[in-house]
Amino acid sequence: MSFLHSYAYYIGAFGLIFIGLYVILTKHNLIKVIIGLGILDTGVNLFLISVGYITKGTAPIFSRPGIDSEDMVDPVPQALVLTAIVIGVAVLALALSLAIRLYQHYGTLNLRKIREQRW
Amino acid sequence: MVNPVLLIAVPLGLAFAIPLFALFWKDAAKYIPPAALGFNLVVSLLLLPKVLENPVIVSISGWRPPFCINLVAGPVGVLFSAIIALIGLLVSIYALDYIREGATERYHILYLLLLTGATGVVLTGDIFNLFVFFEILCISSYALVAYTADKAGFESAIKYLIQGAVGSSLLLIGIGLLYGLFGTLNMADIAQNIKSVSPISVFVPMALIVTGLGVEAAIFPLNAWLPDAHSSAPSSISAILSGIAIEVGLYAVARVIFTIFGAQSILPFLAFLGILTLLVGEMCAFSQNNIKRMLAYSSIGQIGLILFALAIATSYGVTGGLFQLISHTLAKALLFLAVGYMIYRAGSLEISALEGMGKKMPLTCLAFAIGAFSLVGLPPFIGFPSKFLVVRAALATKETIFIVLIGLALLGTVIEGAYFFRVVQVLYFKGEKPNPPKKDAPVVALVPMFIFVVLIVIIGIYPKLVTDVLNSAASELLNRLDYIRSVLG
Repeated sequence: MSFLHSYAYYIGAFGLIFIGLYVILTKHNLIKVIIGLGILDTGVNLFLISVGYITKGTAPIFSRPGIDSEDMVDPVPQALVLTAIVIGVAVLALALSLAIRLYQHYGTLNLRKIREQRW
Repeated sequence: MVNPVLLIAVPLGLAFAIPLFALFWKDAAKYIPPAALGFNLVVSLLLLPKVLENPVIVSISGWRPPFCINLVAGPVGVLFSAIIALIGLLVSIYALDYIREGATERYHILYLLLLTGATGVVLTGDIFNLFVFFEILCISSYALVAYTADKAGFESAIKYLIQGAVGSSLLLIGIGLLYGLFGTLNMADIAQNIKSVSPISVFVPMALIVTGLGVEAAIFPLNAWLPDAHSSAPSSISAILSGIAIEVGLYAVARVIFTIFGAQSILPFLAFLGILTLLVGEMCAFSQNNIKRMLAYSSIGQIGLILFALAIATSYGVTGGLFQLISHTLAKALLFLAVGYMIYRAGSLEISALEGMGKKMPLTCLAFAIGAFSLVGLPPFIGFPSKFLVVRAALATKETIFIVLIGLALLGTVIEGAYFFRVVQVLYFKGEKPNPPKKDAPVVALVPMFIFVVLIVIIGIYPKLVTDVLNSAASELLNRLDYIRSVLG
């Protein structure tokens, strides 16, 4: 149990990453694939946060009295996640707008039927 | 002295200023990219002689390197930024006439952002910053692939987007693992501490990062998006994607393997993957009827050869790899630009529709033929010295594996020759009509093609023009200790 307790965030993060990958690889509906991308992004972000997280830690504000530097959460991964979230939003928005245009051209979102380009 | 930050700041600022300028003057949108890239080219060429002596390290906001995001303008970075600016400038001049329909303003914004991202990737010294610039490059290229707004464009763009997004997620996981191990994102700082942890725990982030970057660099099992994306984009964008985007991906792979991880043991595997990529690309190219798909597969083949040359990891090998990279960039950009107007005239992408083009568009076809001969490696074009250097580097190692692999690479070159000569034959020696009307590509498009041809011939005859720069770039990639020392002081 102690293993589960101390690695809960990593297990959760990689769980989400694998669920996302599974969805992207197996689903034929484009919207579901894009949802998979969203889950994958969330998993990666959760993973980055858990790299720098300390249980019951606080924000690293040095001017506040009475806080030991041992209790402070690493702020760098949080800054990374902020950037990664913005990038993820841009990619998802672009993917959804492409999906709309694809639907207008083909009348379907089934990736098995959208197959004009091949090797 | 010029500050290398301007190489990123000026095009980025101008890209977002395009809508403002376009409010007052509608045509401003298409003249801003050539201006910004011309500026970049001048700055890169001014910086080049200085960085050959000492790399310029820029610390943003005044903190010392491990604590800030820094730019490393070494020989490699400035060489790449000069190439990006040169190709970008010529292609943007070509696009003045070529891009007429659709959302032209947005095309120019995205075009400039793509090249800003590429410049950022090659100059940055921080691995998360590299990821961010990579995403700028990728997201703008996803959108530009769909620019033609037809069925094929949207389908290829969504394919490219899904594979690219999975690749960049893997890259980000790898960066997260590295941060967890070392508590720093500075590439030099990570490189300095890489030996302090067990090789197994470094292997996982390395595999994730190389796989993630490998999607953009189109290394064999990860390149399913490339032929679709490169063939459905407008020709000017195909030239940039083939000439710059995948090369930048390859640069990132080389930087990560050589500088950050210093991983010698993975190199034979990469050499093998390179040759596999080469053979798959050339064989698929051979069986294509669509001219742009053929060129796209040929890019895969060339990328394989460059990866192989870099993986030899001797001074000759890396110099040859970088030389081959330049020669591919020039020749492939020229080919796509020439093909752009040829298919415009023929109204079809099929190779058979290009019959007799040699008489209808003599100058454009001459440019195509020179690009094709250079790519195959005929003297006196640039492809000859670069391929020669790669072959010599492989033979100089005296290791059986590299000699066998270079033999396979030469087989790939034979296939390459076969399909390029077939197209040149169709252009010049097929077709019945005796005196078709002559109408070449417009002058705005012929000028950049002419400059490409001149560069290809001049460097081909006198390779010494670039070999000095390439030698110091190769030694920057191979001597990781010098890199660490120059950044951390």
